[in-house]
Amino acid sequence: MKRDRDREREKKFFNGGVFNGGSSGKGKIWEEDEEETPDAGMDELLAVLGYKVKSSDMADVAQKLEQLEMAMGTTMEDGITHLSTDTVHKNPSDMAGWVQSMLSSISTNFDMCNQENELVLSGCGSSSSIIDFSRNEQNHQTTTISDDDLRAIPGGAVFNSDSNKRHRSSSSFSTSMLTDSSAARPVVLVDSQETGVRLVHTLMACAEAVQQENLTLADQLVRHIGILAVSQSGAMRKVATYFAEALARRIYKIYPQDSIESSYTDVLQMHFYETCPYLKFAHFTANQAILEAFTGCNKVHVIDFSLKQGMQWPALMQALALRPGGPPAFRLTGIGPPQPDNTDALQQVGWKLAQLAETIGVEFEFRGFVANSLADLDATILDIRPSETEAVAINSVFELHRLLSRPGAIEKVLNSIKQINPKIVTLVEQEANHNAGVFIDRFNEALHYYSTMFDSLESSGSSSSASPTGILPQPPVNNQDLVMSEVYLGRQICNVVACEGSDRVERHETLNQWRVRMNSSGFDPVHLGSNAFKQASMLLALFAGGDGYRVEENDGCLMLGWHTRPLIATSAWKLSPDSGTGAGEIEL
Amino acid sequence: MGTHFFINDNEDVLIEILKRLDGRSLGVAACVCKLWCGIARNDSLWEHLCFRHVSPPLEGVRTVVLALGGYRRLYMVCVRPVLNRLRKWRPIGMESDSEIVRRVYWTRHEVELSLSLFCVDYYERVFLSGGSGGGGGGGKHGGGDAAAAPCVSSLMFLCKAVNV
Repeated sequence: MKRDRDREREKKFFNGGVFNGGSSGKGKIWEEDEEETPDAGMDELLAVLGYKVKSSDMADVAQKLEQLEMAMGTTMEDGITHLSTDTVHKNPSDMAGWVQSMLSSISTNFDMCNQENELVLSGCGSSSSIIDFSRNEQNHQTTTISDDDLRAIPGGAVFNSDSNKRHRSSSSFSTSMLTDSSAARPVVLVDSQETGVRLVHTLMACAEAVQQENLTLADQLVRHIGILAVSQSGAMRKVATYFAEALARRIYKIYPQDSIESSYTDVLQMHFYETCPYLKFAHFTANQAILEAFTGCNKVHVIDFSLKQGMQWPALMQALALRPGGPPAFRLTGIGPPQPDNTDALQQVGWKLAQLAETIGVEFEFRGFVANSLADLDATILDIRPSETEAVAINSVFELHRLLSRPGAIEKVLNSIKQINPKIVTLVEQEANHNAGVFIDRFNEALHYYSTMFDSLESSGSSSSASPTGILPQPPVNNQDLVMSEVYLGRQICNVVACEGSDRVERHETLNQWRVRMNSSGFDPVHLGSNAFKQASMLLALFAGGDGYRVEENDGCLMLGWHTRPLIATSAWKLSPDSGTGAGEIEL
Repeated sequence: MGTHFFINDNEDVLIEILKRLDGRSLGVAACVCKLWCGIARNDSLWEHLCFRHVSPPLEGVRTVVLALGGYRRLYMVCVRPVLNRLRKWRPIGMESDSEIVRRVYWTRHEVELSLSLFCVDYYERVFLSGGSGGGGGGGKHGGGDAAAAPCVSSLMFLCKAVNV
């Protein structure tokens, strides 16, 4: 019903939200959702900006603002800026009174002005919260109103640069308003729930505009998103903010450098590791597969495609140490990107792992390789010992998808893997297709994926209650972890949305896509057993908020998801017997 | 002449008794007096607590556990939270609350998971530069230094109360 009403009427958001064109006004109409409680009836959207406007006064204020706008529009050249600087506004947050006082100081008559102006409302006190919107006058005649009407906004909207300059010069509360052809327009207020829907629609409309190369429209929409996002709370707000930033980067072509300090990324990933179970799930399930592949082997070699802090390996070493029959000799090869400050991060991690190995009594050897890309390495560099003596496992957690940004790289790496002749290849990847050729498809997929991700972070981060003793303080690390995890995901979002070509490295693909690729490259799947499933389920049950996480088994692969949406998939592979380079059978 | 039996004069009996307690009671016992505190800190008691119902006994576990911080720490950081959480989670829900005290039944998977988490905890504690934050698994009982070394721990999730 709400939607039908919207369809018939114009809408106007007073904090500078989207203006939808509509048929001619039918008088003031109130959205019935706004309850007029006696003292708490302040409009929440405006309250965010520091203006106190009673919902009951909204129509009145709207009308007055319109009159003011018309007046200011006509007297543009007369230096109306005195209104903003000279007029004394008592109690500026009381918008109704303020507008009235401004109106009373204008005595010009109203003239219709047909140019398009920009509405600027500065939030009190903070100069950065300028809210812009501009509207296309042609909207006024458009009669297509629907929830998708954002897409119907014609592309002819143009900024009026004169009014821009005028506003920049004024100090705090300067308003210049749109001109309009009708004196009294119907007014409809919107509550924040619908704003949430609006937010998603605006995001998609903006992406559509970018897809169609309509950058001016996209620019306006991106600003809308900022406004709408403010009225939300929690995960939706954060997701919208990150996506808005990524879209803005794409529109303004301010591409983030990918060569940001990898140590910073490592730090972010550590926080992500601590906040939510995705990485732990990845590590534990991959380790279980590797452990099972290594049964009966006395010398084992693991090649880690992205060593980072080496968080995966203590658990594997401990499991090897306690396996029946004693631990094998364990060799680890870690691959990592070059560090900007030329420190040998790989070697440091290797050293820590070596100490741990000594503590628990596992024979350990480490080698680190610095490479910009996995495609730069091949089997000969990696010092592979003959497979009769040493069993090799290759482990890739969130790393292979980066190779898809350069043609030919993934094939080269898969060939190298085949030359290495491993007993098992464990692959953990995001379960989403963020590599579609069409931008809008990518965008929509990413929006859904990261919304779910942020949802899960939200619940796991907020579920910490008072510790049992009451003595331990609420761990502040928790909030910092949460924020850093969000930044970690935000960078992925930025890469998926804003970058292109070889810069866009977050080219996630679904499990099925990887299956096709691995099968056609000569690999056979290895089923992750029930042990891995049980361990993963237990691990998730330990997490507070663990009711939301789901482990699924998908034809031998394990997927971890949030409620119904799988987010991460672990799979294991071995060489097909007939792929040429495999030496002998690989039974597990 | 009366011969009073004073438990503190018979440490071996005391140890036998303490061996049969559950974790919480053992912690409470540690608060009784200095002698009891000293005995309760004995790691073998906690080893017994952790693994007395696990069969077959895992070989080589002791070396590893002692190297990674000892059984008492293992119990507090990993075993207790794991058992508590998983007890609520496990579909076998026939025991009433009064049974919980006596049921320390482990499955092999829980043991393995706990040990892995314990190893991760050690690695983080010793090797990764810790930030601020509570130590892993501060319990209400069990002697002083549960929270002695505050560290960044990915096992923090084990400290949080579960939304049951």
